[in-house]
Amino acid sequence: MLKVENLVAGYGKVQVLHGLSINVEDGQLVTLIGSNGAGKTTTLRALSGMIAPESGSITLGGKEISGLASHRITRLGLAHSPEGRRVFSTLSVEDNLLLGAFPRVTGARPKGDVQADRNRMFDLFPRLSERRTQLAGTLSGGEQQMLAMARALMLQPQVLLLDEPSMGLSPRLVEEVFSIIRRLKDAKVTMLLVEQFAAAALDVADFGYVLENGRLSTSGPAAELKNDPAVRAAYLGTAH
Amino acid sequence: MQILLQLIASGISVGMIYGVIAFGYQLTFATSKTLNFGQGEALTLGALVGLTTINFLIGQAIATPWAYLLMLPIVLAFGLLQGAVVELLGVRQAIKTNSEAGWIMATIALGIIFRNLAENIWGRDALRFPSPLPEQALSFGGIRIQPMEIAIVVGALLLMLLVELFNRKSIYGKAVVATANDRDAAGLMGINTRIVITFSYALSSMSAAFAGVLVAPITLTGATMGAVLGLKAFAVAIIGGLSSGAGVVVGGLILGIAETLTGYYIESGYKDVPGLVLLLLVLSLKPSGLFGKPTIKKV
Repeated sequence: MLKVENLVAGYGKVQVLHGLSINVEDGQLVTLIGSNGAGKTTTLRALSGMIAPESGSITLGGKEISGLASHRITRLGLAHSPEGRRVFSTLSVEDNLLLGAFPRVTGARPKGDVQADRNRMFDLFPRLSERRTQLAGTLSGGEQQMLAMARALMLQPQVLLLDEPSMGLSPRLVEEVFSIIRRLKDAKVTMLLVEQFAAAALDVADFGYVLENGRLSTSGPAAELKNDPAVRAAYLGTAH
Repeated sequence: MQILLQLIASGISVGMIYGVIAFGYQLTFATSKTLNFGQGEALTLGALVGLTTINFLIGQAIATPWAYLLMLPIVLAFGLLQGAVVELLGVRQAIKTNSEAGWIMATIALGIIFRNLAENIWGRDALRFPSPLPEQALSFGGIRIQPMEIAIVVGALLLMLLVELFNRKSIYGKAVVATANDRDAAGLMGINTRIVITFSYALSSMSAAFAGVLVAPITLTGATMGAVLGLKAFAVAIIGGLSSGAGVVVGGLILGIAETLTGYYIESGYKDVPGLVLLLLVLSLKPSGLFGKPTIKKV
């Protein structure tokens, strides 16, 4: 569904990714793990067009999307719940969700029933339901994270990119977020998950890639990676 | 007391004009953090295009009030177009290359070009603009107010209300607000933020053009009419806060009233001073404006 080949990207003269290749099959949950600064967020930013890749190929459902503006990539069905949540703080929770479906409402993607989808999001994230008319800027960090995920889902995306959905959340909320990711996986949502909590990510994922200094160090089925001694030592904290 | 109220009444209509122009500054600042320094010339061009249009319509034996109403959509459409041109020629490239100052010079340059164009087409003399309403002042308990002054207040509020309504109710308006909130995140929603910015420039110039045809019947029309208004409205936008919707109305009223009061009680030669003093005070004491939220730079 999403295929990345030899992706080279960075910021200005600073190259962060030096030829990255990953593959996300339809219906799969793939995770990208690695330490701080390895290039996980940069990868997602390049995929969704927030930064323009220097070279390499990115195809979504067979269609080349590398170098397109982010609004075009979104309209082709790639949703991105970005690092730092980036909710629209002066708009209500309901309006944030509606904007997630902007390409559907404005005819760039099949419309479906936006209202029903919004209600489904409120079922999936009951905390948002209680706050539906509140401004997004007044939500707690955990609620904003859920809103960012729900907003991305409103696109009815072919692939969903999730950047550190657990960042800055209390352990209880992290658990809640991961249980929602598991439910999305059961619903066959294709996802690429970037996480610092490598253990939790490998628990839910089908397949994993380990990123080190902008290059893949290893990859494999998530269950195998979890038992890989090198991965365990570097990312899973063998002490636990 | 009578005189004081009279001065305040006159100050209000001038202040509302400043408010509408300043509102235009806010529109582009919200989406792109840039301003059109040719906003005064957008007002000039709007008024002059309005003048030609209304004179043509009156020439077709249409009564002045009807001619004025028919002229409005044409002037508004012209304003939209003119603003889009400013954005495309002067601002887009600067935003794309993250230029800090490119857009400042470019919008000033376009403003000068537009002023020259106006001088060559309409001449340098001030022209009389036909008033759609009786020029006879109405008396409210001894306070004399021209009907056009009331129309200015109503028109100005109506314009701002309609834009606000568009932003709150329509999906495209919400896309504008989203772009103002976080441009990158708006792009991730599938919103073409470049078009949103072009649109905000169009709307900004439309507001100025509208202010032009509102004020023209009580002043005079000419190629230089917008320069001072644009500058004062910029002061109003700073005083009220570039990010506060209601701030420009209050800021406009403060400046408008301060001017008429100074002009009468102190010396008409000094009537520009209080507003500028206020501007300096606001800049040193509350740089985000009287009603603006302090901007927190996120890293």
